[in-house]
Amino acid sequence: MDKGLLSYILIPLLSAIIIPFAARNRPRLADLLANATLVAGLANLAWLALRPSVISGGFADIPGDGLSLLLVATVYLVALCVTFFSAWFVKEGMPNRQAYYSLILVSVAAMCGVITTSDFFTLYVFVEVLAVTSFALITTDESAGGIEGALKYFFLTFPASALIIAGIAVLMITLGSLSYENLHIFMSSDIPSGPITFGVALMLLGFVIKSGVVPFHTWTPDAYQGAYAPVSAYLAGIVTKISGVYAIIRIATLMRFFDGRAQALSGILMFLGMLSIAVGALAALRQKDLKRMLAFSSISQLGYIVLAAGLGTPLAIMGAIFHLFNHATFKTVLFLNSASIEKSSGTTDMDKLGGLEHSMPWTSWTSIVALLSTAGVPPLSGFWSKLLIILALWESGLKVYAILALLFSIVTLAYFMMMQKKVFFGKKTPASENSPEVSAPLLAPAVLMSALIVALGLLFPYFFSYVRMVAERIIL
Amino acid sequence: MIYHTLLFALAVVFAAWAVMSRSLLISAMMLALVSVCVSLIFFNFGAPVAAVFELSVCAGLITVLFIGAVSLIRTDEEAHPENRVRFYALPLAGAIFAIAAWFYLPGFFNELSSWARIGRGGGDIGLELWDMRRPDLLGQLAMLAAGVFVVKSVFPRRAKGK
Amino acid sequence: MNIFSLDWYLIALLVFTGFYCMLASRSIVRQLIGLEIISKGAMLTVISAGALTNNLVFAQALIITMIVIEVVVVAAGLALLVKNFRINGSTDIWKLNSLKG
Repeated sequence: MDKGLLSYILIPLLSAIIIPFAARNRPRLADLLANATLVAGLANLAWLALRPSVISGGFADIPGDGLSLLLVATVYLVALCVTFFSAWFVKEGMPNRQAYYSLILVSVAAMCGVITTSDFFTLYVFVEVLAVTSFALITTDESAGGIEGALKYFFLTFPASALIIAGIAVLMITLGSLSYENLHIFMSSDIPSGPITFGVALMLLGFVIKSGVVPFHTWTPDAYQGAYAPVSAYLAGIVTKISGVYAIIRIATLMRFFDGRAQALSGILMFLGMLSIAVGALAALRQKDLKRMLAFSSISQLGYIVLAAGLGTPLAIMGAIFHLFNHATFKTVLFLNSASIEKSSGTTDMDKLGGLEHSMPWTSWTSIVALLSTAGVPPLSGFWSKLLIILALWESGLKVYAILALLFSIVTLAYFMMMQKKVFFGKKTPASENSPEVSAPLLAPAVLMSALIVALGLLFPYFFSYVRMVAERIIL
Repeated sequence: MIYHTLLFALAVVFAAWAVMSRSLLISAMMLALVSVCVSLIFFNFGAPVAAVFELSVCAGLITVLFIGAVSLIRTDEEAHPENRVRFYALPLAGAIFAIAAWFYLPGFFNELSSWARIGRGGGDIGLELWDMRRPDLLGQLAMLAAGVFVVKSVFPRRAKGK
Repeated sequence: MNIFSLDWYLIALLVFTGFYCMLASRSIVRQLIGLEIISKGAMLTVISAGALTNNLVFAQALIITMIVIEVVVVAAGLALLVKNFRINGSTDIWKLNSLKG
């Protein structure tokens, strides 16, 4: 475990324990405490990464391996957007308000634990904490849909944990240790890997189920659609990505997929990635509910990350990390906007919505920025990450995958254009007749994230040097 | 050797019984017996601390939780009994799996055990947990906090439901 | 055949029983029981791996953590079950079909 980043686990945990006591009779204090914790963490991270000495030294002395710092920052950013949004979104009299914020903070702590650890068993422990908190968060609003999504999530995610444990047991036998470092050293040597590949394959299968890659994606749309509105942004933006995809990227770098020592695993992972790109995009085309469509789009974008992680060359890992970050930004915007629409017009059924462009201009424009970034339109940030992934595929001679990835990014544009036309353009429907723009605090997170998308797209050369540093540090 | 294997076999038998039993209460009891078997296996392996934990927590606490939940929802289970045919097919399916696996799995596991790296062993369980696995302890703490908040969130107005 | 592979063979049977229960049953309680059986199998793999490699202390340290996790997971699952029973009035997992698309 990385000592330099330990405080990012401990402080949210402490804050989560304080909230129920401090805010027992003053519910608004819970909002304040949660937001203050996350803002303080972000400010600290910004100082850590952006102080002049670090920048002039080419990021030489940041704690951890760079990837953990970037992901901790992403976790805090998304969590801050969600808590800030919830502070105005959650109804006044909601009985489990304090527990809601405590759960968000515990899951932030768990995600930081997942990111900073360097041991497979500790990874498993924190992933379980994350899973337990997230299905309680899904049922926050006590709706029938929420409990259904939570139960489906529960019964798919815990068998996956058993697979991970079996993989850990095999690693205990054949590697004699569970630390990342030992696996990395072993894979760098010339000793035949034997059953180690089998153990890692079991763990990979578990994480693939947990992240919702296509043959195991059935829980994802239900959980995202049924979840309490801000929680679905949190889940789609960061939670399922950290609990599954992060571990896949980590294993891909540890197993040195790029020098072909685990050819079969790498091939299977890439195939599953391509399959989820295709199935997610095609299923998103025929959805009627806005949140469900966004969920399928999330599966499709996840496919790009898994595809790149399966390839495993430095360029592909760079693309995967950058796409993970971009996915957090644009999916947060889209899901938060769907929550705004739900609050304003009372429905997320796309057939009942229409013409919201005039009454909700800010929501409409931030959605356009986010969806163009998802589809990979230059110069937004999503373009660069997809470009990196497709270039990496082309360079490694996988021209079919490269062309398919490119084609499905056009399908992405198609279904988002359809969504935009149905929801925001066109004629006003009765449901959207009296739906005013939501208040400024509810818009702030979406506007902040959209600004980030544009800024990262324009300032890409600077950010590129950081991401390349990250990829080099974790691969070499 | 025989006692050891017998315990494993008993665990499987109790598990099958737990799955096939008509009454949920008996299922919960059988689950507790599976836990007892697992705990005895831990003792037999020479892992007394884990065995005591398993016996007190899994065979005790979890069974109590299960029985509490089952008694809350028993009326519904009795009003809508499940189709039993699928459960009576378990011995058949299990036997098919066992025979098919007999030809393949032991050889595979034999090879797996030939790859074993023998560790140095020894050490003290408390020191091991505190010195080597301290992040896990932090994880346990987070897990317990999460559990409390989950119950608080799922049953808001009651102090601690169930 | 050595004792280790016999143990793991029986563990495989245990896990198969658990998965069968999860697939065949419609009741959420029974699915939880299946989940418990599977996680028992997972624990047995860890302790037997520890015994094989003479790393029992390490394996015990892992198992204690796993037991704590298991209790919280089961408690949370039962909480969800009771809440589902209050909201939907049923414990049948296939009756959950309000979300479609």
